[in-house]
Amino acid sequence: MKLRIPKTVTMAAVAATILATTACGGILGGGDEKTADSGPIKIAAVIPLSGSSAPTGVFMKNGMQMAIDEINAKGGVLGRQLQFDPEDEACDPTQAAAAANKAVSNGAVVSVGGYCSGATLPTLPIFEKANIPMIIPAANSQDLVNQKLPNVFLINGTGVQQAAAAVKFMVKDGVKTVALVDDNTSYSKDIATQTKKDLETDGNVKVALSTSVTAGESDYSSVVHDIMGANPDMLYWTGYYQEGGLIINQLKAAGYTGKIMVADGSVDASLIKIAGAANAEGVFATMTQTPDTIKGAETWIADYTKKFGSAPGPYSTQSYDAVRVAAEAITKAGSTDGDKVIAALQAIDGFQLFSGPLKFTPEHTLTNGGFQILVVKDGKFALQDDLS
Amino acid sequence: MTQLIWNGLFVGSFYALIALGYSMVYGIIKLLNFAHGDIYMLGAFIGFATLSSFGIIPASMSITALLLVLLLTMIITGGIGVGIERLAYRPLRNSPRLAVLITAVGASFTLEYGVSAIAGPNPRVFPVRLQGQTFDVLGARISAPQIVLMFVAVILMLSLNSYIQRTSMGRAMRAIALDPKGSLLMGINVNKVITWTFFIGSALAGAAGVMAGAYYGKIDFLMGFIIGLKAFTAAVIGGIGNIKGAMLGGLLLGLLEAFGSQWLGGQWRDVFTFAVLIAFLTLKPTGLLGERVTERV
Repeated sequence: MKLRIPKTVTMAAVAATILATTACGGILGGGDEKTADSGPIKIAAVIPLSGSSAPTGVFMKNGMQMAIDEINAKGGVLGRQLQFDPEDEACDPTQAAAAANKAVSNGAVVSVGGYCSGATLPTLPIFEKANIPMIIPAANSQDLVNQKLPNVFLINGTGVQQAAAAVKFMVKDGVKTVALVDDNTSYSKDIATQTKKDLETDGNVKVALSTSVTAGESDYSSVVHDIMGANPDMLYWTGYYQEGGLIINQLKAAGYTGKIMVADGSVDASLIKIAGAANAEGVFATMTQTPDTIKGAETWIADYTKKFGSAPGPYSTQSYDAVRVAAEAITKAGSTDGDKVIAALQAIDGFQLFSGPLKFTPEHTLTNGGFQILVVKDGKFALQDDLS
Repeated sequence: MTQLIWNGLFVGSFYALIALGYSMVYGIIKLLNFAHGDIYMLGAFIGFATLSSFGIIPASMSITALLLVLLLTMIITGGIGVGIERLAYRPLRNSPRLAVLITAVGASFTLEYGVSAIAGPNPRVFPVRLQGQTFDVLGARISAPQIVLMFVAVILMLSLNSYIQRTSMGRAMRAIALDPKGSLLMGINVNKVITWTFFIGSALAGAAGVMAGAYYGKIDFLMGFIIGLKAFTAAVIGGIGNIKGAMLGGLLLGLLEAFGSQWLGGQWRDVFTFAVLIAFLTLKPTGLLGERVTERV
């Protein structure tokens, strides 16, 4: 008995070493070729593929894969094929830094990742040092913009833009009191604090309650109790759909009759399923354009569903766009050189994304956040107000 | 106020159901089974899979179907609990306590990411949703599904209690908790009793999983993590290793959370919960019902 355990351990260690060396060999072998101006162009993505944000990470990975396959089928970029290198960051800053370093040493030319803002932040200086342009499809905390790095581009509206859209709609809709609930993540807190600030400046709408919940739980009766006590005209939930669905369900069960609005992290078909179709009916959302609200995106959804066996989820379109923007910039630059690609990105004007034509501001964010108001109608998100 | 008490008791009964398994296993082999919360998750997923395979269930049959699935799930998760004990814990039973604790954490991750690999990382929506009227009792809104679930939880807990107090297997469990070597010398089949303990504990966690799925509607592969830690906290509050303590601890923790988040704000709920855990571990490690020399289980 005593002897058997070390033996198994040794065998496992040997097996692990063999696996590790072969894997490394493969990566290094590929890496040697591509530093030259031939061979595949490596597109890296540091995204959450494990951990609590893994569901969204998979949507992003699929969206990127779809764009890469499409571009490759059309002959690639500069006559070279694109090669996708997704790295797991598990929504964790430490793992994200390690994953970014790995992506750089694998020979990435462009990075199209970035979901959790907190985990994306430490990857910025790593890509900056390697002079690799980053097109961030999802992470949108103001902190990313505040770094003022030349290589960082955001193709998702920022929290500031989203909050402005939310406030605009609240005033327009005649809401007098509002409850702000976030889930304590950087993304969610960003929108909630900004909305609160905007509401105080605006002065038309009173914040009746401002609180946070812990993500990943099932029972939100305490926050429901607080909301019922504050009795606001509208609840604005700035977190993700998993908790959002539960909160809507439990609020309705508690007899809440006011309006509910959710932020873009909650815009997903699952929100309606989790909340229950009847409960979700009439829920508003602040959202950039999605395949569901864009005419002509039906084919895209069908292609995605056919390819991956499930419908596209949050940020799959933005991730798809990020790869296309990267390919466009490399084509325009005529080279994979970092400086040239960054210059090409800055010069992009009118490239068509799901969220509308693309042109970056001097801050490298979208000129127009493109936020609009959706409403759940007949169990589906539909356009309520484009806020124009 | 009444609403807070009711909310607390309702959530607390889930904690209590899961805390029972923690407490029983700790009482008998002094192991903190960190995979226990994930058995709860597994229960929810097994319930999801069986209910989905039934096809469309008419609303009138949903309670019957749920109870049937509950029973089936209890048997399966019980079996899985036994399997985990056999594969991950029994070979290490004579190793230092730390080794088993680490294996338990490993078993927990294996279950979580195993389910994620099989069922996908996306949250699933339970095919059957418990729905029903709500009643106004002393200013608190109480819904029919809540009453049904509380009732099932109480029945499960009461039957476990009488099983341990009245049957020979229960007596054997109590004996092993007191003195494993002595029990072995007295002719008790220790392995068999430990197997049963894991079976019962895991079956109860699986039942809680199905109930949570049917009530809240959403299940995901990480749902067992936080509730596992909370059940552990509940077990410590009540006196770990003590069955009645686990039930009391669960209900108490539910109430503490309800009132704590009311006073301090929702974002402080878990801070408060785990601060209570630390306070108990430092000030009264034996918990409320634990005695210095305690008869465990």
